[in-house]
Amino acid sequence: MNFAEITLGHYLALSSVLFLIGLAGVILRRSLLIMMMSLELLLNAANLALVAVGRFQGLPDPQVAVFFVITVAAAEIALGLAILVAIFRIKKTTAADQLASLRF
Amino acid sequence: MEPIFFWVLAVGLVVSAIGLVAFRNPVTSAVCLVVTLVMEAALFVTLEAYFLAVVQVIVYAGAVMVLFLFVIMLLDVKEEARQRPPWAKVVWVVAIGGGAVFGVPRIASLFPAAAKTLHWEQGKGGGSAAELGRLLFSSYSPLFLATGVLLLVATVGVVVLCRKDPES
Amino acid sequence: MIAYAPYLILLLPLLAAVSIRLFLYPFPRISITVSTLACLVSFLGSIGLLLFGSSMGEVTAPALPWIEWAGLRANFGILGDPLARGMATLVSGVAFLVHIYSIGYLEKEPCRSRFFAELSLFVFSMLGIVLADNLISMFIFWELVGLSSYLLIGFWVERPAAGAAANKAFLVNRIGDFGFILGILGAWALFGTLSFADLPSRVAASAPGWAVTAVGLGLFCGCLGKSAQFPLHVWLPDSMEGPTPVSSLLHAATMVVAGVYMLIRVLPILEISQVTMMTIAWIGGLMTLLPALIACQQNDIKRILAYSTLSEIAYMVMAVGLGVAGPAMYHLTTHAFFKCLLFLAAGSVIHGCHEEQDIWKMGGLGKRMPFTALVTILGTLALCGIPPLSGFWSKDAIFAATAHSPGLAAVSMVAGFFTSFFMLRMILVAFGGTPKNDAARHAHEGSIFMTAPMAVLACLTVVGGLLPVESYLHFPHAEGHEAWTLWVSLVVALAGFVPAYHFYRHATQDPLSLPALRDKFYVDEFYRRVFVSTQDAFARLTDAFEGWVVRGFLVRGSGVVARASGQGLRLVQCGQVQVYAAVFILGVFLLIAWLWRQGVIR
Repeated sequence: MNFAEITLGHYLALSSVLFLIGLAGVILRRSLLIMMMSLELLLNAANLALVAVGRFQGLPDPQVAVFFVITVAAAEIALGLAILVAIFRIKKTTAADQLASLRF
Repeated sequence: MEPIFFWVLAVGLVVSAIGLVAFRNPVTSAVCLVVTLVMEAALFVTLEAYFLAVVQVIVYAGAVMVLFLFVIMLLDVKEEARQRPPWAKVVWVVAIGGGAVFGVPRIASLFPAAAKTLHWEQGKGGGSAAELGRLLFSSYSPLFLATGVLLLVATVGVVVLCRKDPES
Repeated sequence: MIAYAPYLILLLPLLAAVSIRLFLYPFPRISITVSTLACLVSFLGSIGLLLFGSSMGEVTAPALPWIEWAGLRANFGILGDPLARGMATLVSGVAFLVHIYSIGYLEKEPCRSRFFAELSLFVFSMLGIVLADNLISMFIFWELVGLSSYLLIGFWVERPAAGAAANKAFLVNRIGDFGFILGILGAWALFGTLSFADLPSRVAASAPGWAVTAVGLGLFCGCLGKSAQFPLHVWLPDSMEGPTPVSSLLHAATMVVAGVYMLIRVLPILEISQVTMMTIAWIGGLMTLLPALIACQQNDIKRILAYSTLSEIAYMVMAVGLGVAGPAMYHLTTHAFFKCLLFLAAGSVIHGCHEEQDIWKMGGLGKRMPFTALVTILGTLALCGIPPLSGFWSKDAIFAATAHSPGLAAVSMVAGFFTSFFMLRMILVAFGGTPKNDAARHAHEGSIFMTAPMAVLACLTVVGGLLPVESYLHFPHAEGHEAWTLWVSLVVALAGFVPAYHFYRHATQDPLSLPALRDKFYVDEFYRRVFVSTQDAFARLTDAFEGWVVRGFLVRGSGVVARASGQGLRLVQCGQVQVYAAVFILGVFLLIAWLWRQGVIR
């Protein structure tokens, strides 16, 4: 790993580390809220990768994509939290393993 | 750009991300998330994507995190209880994560473009608002309109979902 | 158009059968009229052919094309040579008399229409055999006759014994037909033609060899089945389960002699091989004696007559084996008269005694049914070969042919001795003495429908010896009569009456008891032990296979597999979101790896 020269590879490596941490959070945490925050982390990792590639290849298009991703992520969070609130009203819990009634 | 900026921001990003995942108190996790998002915005700046950095701070760190904190306080989410680590899940994550962590640099080294270094060049892949706006309203205008509709749908959906059942 | 007129003889009974089956079941009287009229018209047509044909030589109607390949031509045609015409007249005439008789015999039977339909079907099939001009169409009618026999034997469907007897008849016939088919195919392979008209010329060029012998024996198998000769004779006694008119028409006068008729038709093929002729002659010879012995211990009046039929047919077969077709046909004709008469008389007796068939339960019928007794005596005398009745002349012609084979002569004359013995036994027990039960005491003659045909047949029995059968048929006549066979056979036959008179004059139960004879030399039991049980075991094996492998393993098994895999796959739906997420990510990584491997992602 080259410490002096920052290459595109560095940015991509950082993005993948972030992605994996977010993945760990989604799979390992029980609370739905933390899961959703980890989901944000995943999206951010993707954004970082997109912008880095765009900058290093000289393309403006990935930045447009990131714009859209941020917008849609905001909408998704809003809806996700609304569903969370609705579930909480009924089940009084946000633990994922207690919300497993859609089974055989 | 000095490499030092990148390294500081990278380390900070990873540390706060791990904090987000590790802390049991939801408020602490939320604060970690805010830190993560701000660090990310700084990284965007190092990549000359100024407009996106600002958008990130305003929308993500501003609106979305406020929403999160509101919900946390509304639901009065308690600190998660200590529990034995779910070994199956841990194994899962370590397997996938470890494999990927070691695999990604190798994969990345296969791409010749990955060795490109960063050069500060004005106007090249510029991140100015004018540049972005030009693209948004010409090539990607259908997507832009669709996103507008999406936001409308999300708003309506949220209102519907959060309504209390009428008492009658 | 007129040229096709001979086909009417064949088709009218078929038309009657079909129309009764389709429309006339609820109208027994109309059915009876239709069936009898069709038979009468066929008889008149056959007489017409008989009389006019002889002035025109051979009469053949144009053939209806059916199979016309390069190597095989088999069409439906009518071979109108004297043999066919004579046989057709005989068949339709006797059938007509039996139709009249059945009107009286079955007047209380609710299913009369079905009976007459099946009877018309039989007449059609039998005339088809007689008039066929090649082996394939004869074979088709052969099978149809077997079908009619099956239907008629099993006429009383509510009796399991009748059904079993019908099955037995059909199956045993089938075995014979297997050999028959092989013979037909062999004949085609060897001679290139199956038409009776062409056979003599084609055959003349062949030399004896194992192939011709095999073909001859194959064709003889068909005769073994249909005419009930050893070893396929077991079905004929059982076929007596059918109504008596059926027994008289099919199993005495016409159907069972179809085998002999067929042998005469293919005689050119048989004559080439000495082995075949010897086999036929000796099987015929032995079969004259075997049933005669068995009949000496039988108590059912119809069975006695059935065994005597077996014996008489054997005489005809033996004659064919000795190469003399003329005497065989002569005996066939006279036998049709007196055997049919005997069966009709037996039916009259059974009818009069209210369905009683055991001779030991009859008795004293001579006084109560004098007409029946008289015709029975006439028939018996003809059967035993006593002059001047018809049977004497025809049987004597056959004995003359055996003059050069002392073995056969001895066997057939001894058979004549026993024939006289058991026939007189039957008459003395059933007609003589005193009535053994109430039914016999109140016995009476049947209606005019039953007595008129018997009267006609009785006349024919007496004067049938005068019919110029052999000269009409233009068969090569054998050398002149050897006087010694005539006298010796007559003496032996008369001698048979003596012990019967001695034993059964005043007997109320059978003084002789010979289990081997009574149980038919255990042939049926042997067949059951050897063939039926192996077939049964095999059937059980296949049933087990079907039950376990096909039904169990394949059918139910596939259901079980589907169900089990469904149950297994259900476990994937655990409801835990995080598990789903983990699997999802794993899938994505695997997909990327695979795409990398394929080279899609550079």
